Amino acid sequence: MIALVPGGNAPVTSGQVYVKIDYTPVPNADIDVSGFALGAAGKVRGDGDMCFYGQTRVLDSAIQMTESSAGLAVFVLDLSRLESGIDKVALTATIHENKASFDRVSRLSVSVGDDIVADIPTTGMQETALILGEIYRRAEGWKFRCVAQGFAGGLEPLAEHFGVEVAASAASTPPPPPPPQGKPSVNLSKVTLDKSRSSISLAKSTADFGEIKVNLNWHRGTSGGFFSRNRAIDLDVGCLFELKNGSKGVVQALGNAFGDLAYEPYIQLMGDDRTGSIDGGEWLHINGHKWSEIRRVLVYAFIYEGAPDWKQTDGVITIHMPDQPDIEVRLNEEGGRYGMCAIAMLENDNGAVKITRLVDFHKGHSYMDKAYGWGMRWSAGSK
Amino acid sequence: MALSLQKGGNLSLSKTDPSLTKILVGLGWDPRATDGTEFDLDASAFLLNAAGKVRGEADFIFYNQLRSVEGAVEHTGDNRTGEGDGDDEVIKVDLSLVPADIDRIAFTVTIHDAEARKQNFGQVSNSFIRVVNEISGAEIVRYDLAEDASTETAMIFAELYRHNGEWKFRAVGQGYAGGLKALANGYGMNF
Repeated sequence: MIALVPGGNAPVTSGQVYVKIDYTPVPNADIDVSGFALGAAGKVRGDGDMCFYGQTRVLDSAIQMTESSAGLAVFVLDLSRLESGIDKVALTATIHENKASFDRVSRLSVSVGDDIVADIPTTGMQETALILGEIYRRAEGWKFRCVAQGFAGGLEPLAEHFGVEVAASAASTPPPPPPPQGKPSVNLSKVTLDKSRSSISLAKSTADFGEIKVNLNWHRGTSGGFFSRNRAIDLDVGCLFELKNGSKGVVQALGNAFGDLAYEPYIQLMGDDRTGSIDGGEWLHINGHKWSEIRRVLVYAFIYEGAPDWKQTDGVITIHMPDQPDIEVRLNEEGGRYGMCAIAMLENDNGAVKITRLVDFHKGHSYMDKAYGWGMRWSAGSK
Repeated sequence: MALSLQKGGNLSLSKTDPSLTKILVGLGWDPRATDGTEFDLDASAFLLNAAGKVRGEADFIFYNQLRSVEGAVEHTGDNRTGEGDGDDEVIKVDLSLVPADIDRIAFTVTIHDAEARKQNFGQVSNSFIRVVNEISGAEIVRYDLAEDASTETAMIFAELYRHNGEWKFRAVGQGYAGGLKALANGYGMNF
């Protein structure tokens, strides 16, 4: 038995090998274990190079995840069948929604076959996403290295590191300045869309857009502080989408229509994240890799409970895109008695993302649908 | 094709490459891509007498003393992150300028502040040290630190030494506990 410390490596002798990751689960923080098959530049070639609980067999089953439960994940790797374009397989663990850092995971161990074990020292770790180790080609054979390095920012920078969801140029060269419609020197740290400037078009700078994240945050009332969920005002974010293939639908908590990032509609409601003080509110993510499949997305908020006093909510929608300035739309208009606010439209404008501020108010889904010519059928539902 | 370094192996530079008078010792690594303290690798050289010790402080060539008095050994400067392609730190040696009472020159590589940062060579991506003929550009020998020196934090990479009137090269490849300070003291410095 070879015990590895971070940085250490050892040969992997058998062609078919079990890799077992076991760990102490953390209450209320799910840990996801994944495998990334990487090419020469240390990047995945596509979605088919990622093995995780949602995709347990990849690369013609040369990589399989045979177990994924709280505290244990097992992969079976048939190294002899991995195509020559795959240089290494990185094994990662991420804490869902960054609800804890690995400091809280008292035991985290990777074993490769019967011969190699690496116990990862987690004490003091601020990372919420970790590269546990990697199995890599070396002189005709394969070796395993214990890496134990990662990212405090969680899954997103980890995915970027492996070339997922982010423009290819991000890793090696500094991001190009955002293309602000011919005025590169203007201050673009944040763009506010208001009545005087109601739309912006973001051109495709490189291969594609990364993850487009839409956040809705609002003032929840005076009692209980800013971040306590006050029953008086409860805003929900959602969107209507229309894909290039004609498929239409809705992503929102109501009716459990949470969507999906990897598959149609490539939009997902991430649910409430109340772990961080500045990351509060509701998040809607759009898979920018699939932007070419999307025709338009109408982001809206609706008041599920409480009086529709929109101005008092002080609601703000912020649209984050990698390498782009944040775009902000404030719900500072008088909304009358209507409980629904169409906030912004994201349209595919010849591949670019055109974002238009709407901020108009509607009686409900069907009325808003009609106003924007979506053409879906609506019936009442509850959360 | 560069020689792959075998611990303890030596070769006659004069025989392998008779044209060799100027040598580059290059150290390279990739900047840290993950979160955490940067990897800062340092290349150093020690001019040693027949007893294997420095004659004085001036014989320790490192990031704070870049050039030996007579100009035989020159460190081209400290790189603290590994940013950039190819060699990130280079030490140049002109064999024709080495003083007669210097019997060998040892090259070392250390990770700055490794103990506090809990770092070793195996945690650094694509770290290597190599010897190149400055004039022809041919690589003579290379050591893949991440692979071979993985859990070390300091190592004596190689030494050039006089033998029967010619210069020879020995691949030492020996890990060393205690970092640059301990290494320097081992060569007769007094820190």
